[in-house]
Amino acid sequence: MLTAEERERYDRQIMLYGFGEEGQEKLKKARVFIAGAGGLGSTVAIYLAAAGVGTIRIADHDTVELSNLNRQVLHWDEDTGNQKVDSAAAKLRRLNRSIKIEAIAETITEANISHLVADSDLIVDAMDNLPTRYLLNRTAIKKDIPFFHGAVYGFEGRAMTIIPGKSACLNCLYHGATVPEEKFPVIGVTPAVIGCIQAAEVIKYIVGFGELLTDRLLNFDGLKMTFTELKVRKDPNCEHCGKIQGR
Amino acid sequence: MSIEIQIPSVFASYANNKTAFQVKGSTVGECLHDLGKQSPGLAKLILDKNGNLGRAFDIYIDGESAYPNEMTKPVKEGDKLNIVMLIYGG
Repeated sequence: MLTAEERERYDRQIMLYGFGEEGQEKLKKARVFIAGAGGLGSTVAIYLAAAGVGTIRIADHDTVELSNLNRQVLHWDEDTGNQKVDSAAAKLRRLNRSIKIEAIAETITEANISHLVADSDLIVDAMDNLPTRYLLNRTAIKKDIPFFHGAVYGFEGRAMTIIPGKSACLNCLYHGATVPEEKFPVIGVTPAVIGCIQAAEVIKYIVGFGELLTDRLLNFDGLKMTFTELKVRKDPNCEHCGKIQGR
Repeated sequence: MSIEIQIPSVFASYANNKTAFQVKGSTVGECLHDLGKQSPGLAKLILDKNGNLGRAFDIYIDGESAYPNEMTKPVKEGDKLNIVMLIYGG
């Protein structure tokens, strides 16, 4: 049941066709796990908090560095040296005091991933490395939790939504490929664009309307200012999701 | 046979600021090697030392993934290839 304040606060989105108070109540009850409080995580968290997602758990082991501030908009000058999740939680609570923010200052590993995503309705991939992205993907499939992927490089970014047992997964997309990970170039607008797309997917999934980015990789090229949609097929031999094909 | 290849904008600096090329070939591999002749810098990035597609790249033919065995996949006149780089930043 929404309070009078919540009805007023979310009035403009409650007006959306197919959303209504029922949709807002779904958001209020939702528990979202965001893996990473960097560029993507900042944007996703801001828009999910603003939309009224009831519980946001955000995990990141890093502290804020000056070089983060061009793109990680939840962190400001005065936060340098502090844990990113504490910085993020403080801003999100100021944005929306009626939601619950859980800040987890831990590295996501095989050992703690099950605990971290426990009780979460969905997982947002806002990581900065492939091994953890694959770990999240495997966990999402194993636990049957929808998984919202996003990644950026320079002016380029992409997003894809994974519904375990139904759509292609991250490993179907990349076939387990890895690359040497180095400091990468990025401009703040790129994670802003991709993070907003991930947040939109999360909101649509929770409310239950619209079409998801399943089996579709949406690729953003900010230099050409194009969005390209590429089809991704579920790989029956996928090491992550192949055994549960057609579940 | 003319095929269009789109490359990520981030690679334009290796290709005289071009992001689209017209190439010839009847397979993805032939097209990529023709691209390499036009832009040797790109070939070094996209192909490994054996001339195969680098692990950090995927090819899409008219929006459909060419995986697996990308290099031997046939292409036809008017097809559009996208070279997609694995990215991991957040």
